[in-house]
Order: sequence, then structure tokens, then C-alpha cells
Amino acid sequence: MVVEHTSTPIAPSPWSVSMRDVSVRYASGVVALKNVSLDIEPGEMVSVVGLSGSGKSSLIRTINGLVPLTSGSLHVGGFQLETARAGELRRLRGHIGMIFQGFNLAKRTSVLNNVLVGRLAHTTTLRTLLGAYRASDRQIAFEALERVGILPKVWDRASSLSGGQQQRVAIARALCQQPRLVLADEPVASLDPPTAHEVMGDLRRINQELGITVITNLHLIDLARRYGTRIIGLRAGEVVFDGAVEAATDEVFAEIYGRSVASEDALGL
Amino acid sequence: MAVSADDTTAVRPTPSAVTVPARPGGRWKSWCAVAVVVLITAITLSPQWGIDFSLVAIARNWQNGTDKILLLLVPDWGFFPRTVPALAETLQMAVIATAVAAAVSLPLSLATARLTNPNAITRGIARTVLNVVRSIPDLLYAAILVAMVGVGALPGIIALLLFNVGIIVKMVSESIEANDPGALEAGRAAGGTQLQINRSAALPDILPSFVNQTLYVLELNVRASSVLGLVGAGGLGLLIDAVRTFYRYDQLSLIIVEILIIVMALDVLSNAVRRRLV
Repeated sequence: MVVEHTSTPIAPSPWSVSMRDVSVRYASGVVALKNVSLDIEPGEMVSVVGLSGSGKSSLIRTINGLVPLTSGSLHVGGFQLETARAGELRRLRGHIGMIFQGFNLAKRTSVLNNVLVGRLAHTTTLRTLLGAYRASDRQIAFEALERVGILPKVWDRASSLSGGQQQRVAIARALCQQPRLVLADEPVASLDPPTAHEVMGDLRRINQELGITVITNLHLIDLARRYGTRIIGLRAGEVVFDGAVEAATDEVFAEIYGRSVASEDALGL
Repeated sequence: MAVSADDTTAVRPTPSAVTVPARPGGRWKSWCAVAVVVLITAITLSPQWGIDFSLVAIARNWQNGTDKILLLLVPDWGFFPRTVPALAETLQMAVIATAVAAAVSLPLSLATARLTNPNAITRGIARTVLNVVRSIPDLLYAAILVAMVGVGALPGIIALLLFNVGIIVKMVSESIEANDPGALEAGRAAGGTQLQINRSAALPDILPSFVNQTLYVLELNVRASSVLGLVGAGGLGLLIDAVRTFYRYDQLSLIIVEILIIVMALDVLSNAVRRRLV
């Protein structure tokens, strides 16, 4: 199949994120984020590091409104999240691609149908119900699949793909949104080391070639250093480090993790 | 990974060195549950409070049964042409009811599952209505509907429909809750409405369970629609009622054989579909 690039490859103006004293408390009483203030510039590639339970997932899910903030203010693109209503949140999410640790594909349907989920915010409910996506949306999906090198699998069932291939499909789904911001929550934690590097490389290319802002949660130090330009360290819901990769020494990671850094904290390879 | 000799001895301690953690308590709970079941069974069997039944009746009347069983063993094959219209009607009722029930059940299943309908109010309403629908037996539906719309296939179809919706929605919505919510979260993160998420992310995963349940109720319907006729709701049941009244056990036997063959054929068919699906 020949895919012609009709849409411009450069993202329409990447988004910034601005957090002021954001706190998140769940109904269970658990405080996931405590007075977090951050500014992420358009086009940055940020690694958010911390142990599990440090609030990484909550931070990333607060940015696209999957987790509501309890207090503080959050400005993403042109949206003010603490006051956004349901319809606004959907429009916001339409511009933000998200990649998950567990890939989160509908396993019994085709790769194409999974990638087209990225077009939901730009598709009417009637078209979705009939499965009648516009030809232009299909074209965007094909191009997204080609960008992560998995277009030959477009008609395969998602469940028949390997873990690395499934995560590529998930990245294509995010790209299909033509996003201004991509959030990745431990995107390689379920993958073997070589595949992990390939997927991280895909994310870096999205950032460098398309200029899209990318925020990635990671717990492995070497991946955070290699694929990010900036590192944000979270510990017990608080930002304990925020700086350039070069400044994030082993001592800094020991501070973030609350213990000395060990070989298990790196992927190796 | 290389394992040194020291390591192998380390992972195989002498039995005396093993400290087993204390077994958690609470095992008495399962014994209590067994005791309660035994108690309830004992009460229902007891002459004072239980239902009135006696095995003596079987010993006393078994000879009455043998001649009927002998009649049942020799089907009246010549009766076959007269059963064909009723048989066709039973199948038609079963197929129509199943098709309509499937169409109605799919959106209702999505509406009653927490993952596909986060709104507690609409979900509660849908669940309550379906609990009511499910709690009424199909024969009772048929009896009431015969009184309302008259004798024939229509009350039978409506009775089967209500009966089927209760079953399909219950089973499918349970399978939705058991599914991995990941794909739904991805749909939400992509900015889809709940309806869009349900269609594009939830539907593909619940389709096998939905088709499974639909095939199952089709089989149920063939059997149920032969009984519904007893209250005037069309199909083989009307014929069963007639031959039973005249003690034509040989003819009844033929009808039973016919139902058996159809149910077996449906079983083969649904197994074939299921294999392709899952």
C-alpha cells in the first residue's frame, strides 16, 4: 500500500503546561500530589521519574483531566482545567495523545480500528456508531502507522501482535490525534530491553521531528537520562528535582528515590 | 545465570530450618457456610416445616408409569405431517424473539455495566427495570399476554423476548465488568464521548460473549416456546397440550424427538460459530 503524505508532518503549535500549587487527593483519602508547581515549555521532552506510588501517574493524568485536581490551577494549551466542563475536557483530550504501560488496545479488533480511536474527538457520534470513519481520517491513521513502521500490520487483529508492536500501535493511535502534547505513562515497563529502546526512540522522534511536547513517566534512570532533555523527580507527591538531564546526577536520583541508586534502577543495554 | 554450589545449598535448607508463617485464621467461616446449607436442607425435608412429599408415592404408583413409558418408546411416526406447521411456528417464534432480543439487549447491556455507563442514576434505573423483567417467569408472561393480545404466536414471541432480554443483558453486562478497562481508558484519553468509547473500544471485546449468549437463548427459546403453547401462546405447545389431553403418548414422543433433534442441531451450529469467534 502506498501512503501519500497529505497532512503536514509538523504539529500545529505544540502545547505548554503550567501547574500552580496543584494538589490531588483521591476519594480514598490518599494524597497523590502535594502543591506541585511546574512549567513545561512547548516542544520539550520531559522525563518524570520517581518510585511507584510517587505520584507520576497522577501527575500525567491530571494534565489531561482523567484525574481531577483537588486544588491549585492547571493551564494546558488554551484550557483551564480546574474549571473545565465535560465537553471542554473532551476537546482538550482530543489534542493530547496518551500512551499507557499496558498498551490499552481493544484486542479483538483490527489495528486500524484501534488507531482510529485517536480520531474520536474529531468524529461525530453517528459516524462512530456506524464505523464510517471519513477517508481523510483513515489516511491520517495510515500515516501514523507508517511513522512507527507498523503499517503492514494494519489489518491484523491487535491481539496477534507482540508487545512492542502493540505499543507502536498505541503510539500510532496517539499520533492519529495529531496531538499538541503526548503523555506516556511508563510506556516501556512491559517490554524487553531492545524493544524498550525502540519505543523510546519512537517517542523521541515524535518530539524531534514533529516538535510535539512529550512528557514520559519512567522509573529507570538510564532511559530518563538518554531520552529526555529535562528530568522532574517526584517523591511522595512532591517535586524534589526539576532540572536539565546533565544536572541529574546519581546523588540526585538517590534523593528522588530516597535510597542509594542500584543496578536495578537501570535498564542496561 | 551461573549458580554456584553455595547458592544451591542456600536455596535448599534442611527441613528443620524452614519457618512456615502462621496460617491465616477464618477457616471456620467456610464450615459455618456448610452448616447453614445442611441446616436449611434439613428444615425443608422435615415433616413439620418442609414441603409435603413422599417417596412412597413412587413405590406405590410406578406401574402406572411403566405403560406410559412404553408408549413413549414407540413414537407415532405417521403423526409427523401434522407436527410440521407447529414445529415451523415454534422455530419462527424462537428466531424472531432471539433476533429482537439481541438488538434490544446490546445497548441495555452497555447501559447496565459500570465500565460502559459511569452514570450511577441511569445505570440504577436500567438495572432495576431489568431485575423486574428477569424476575417474572416466561410462562407467566405468556399467560398474561395471551389474556391481553389473544391466543397465538404473538404473545409467545413477546414473552420470549422479555425472558431473553433479562438473560442476555445480565450475562453480557457481567462480561463487560470482567473485561480489561484499558481500551476504554484510552478512548476516554483520546477525547471520545461515552457512546463513542463504548462503540469503538468496548464493543469489539464484548462481541464474543454477546454472540454466545444470543445463541444460548436461541436454544432456550426452542424449548421454552414448546411449553408456552400450554397457556395458548402458539407453537408446538398447543399441539403438546392437545395430544396430552387425549393420552397420545406415542404422538407426544414424536414431538419430544423433534425438539431433541432441533436442540442438538442448534448446539452443533452454535459450537461452530463459537469456534470461529473466540
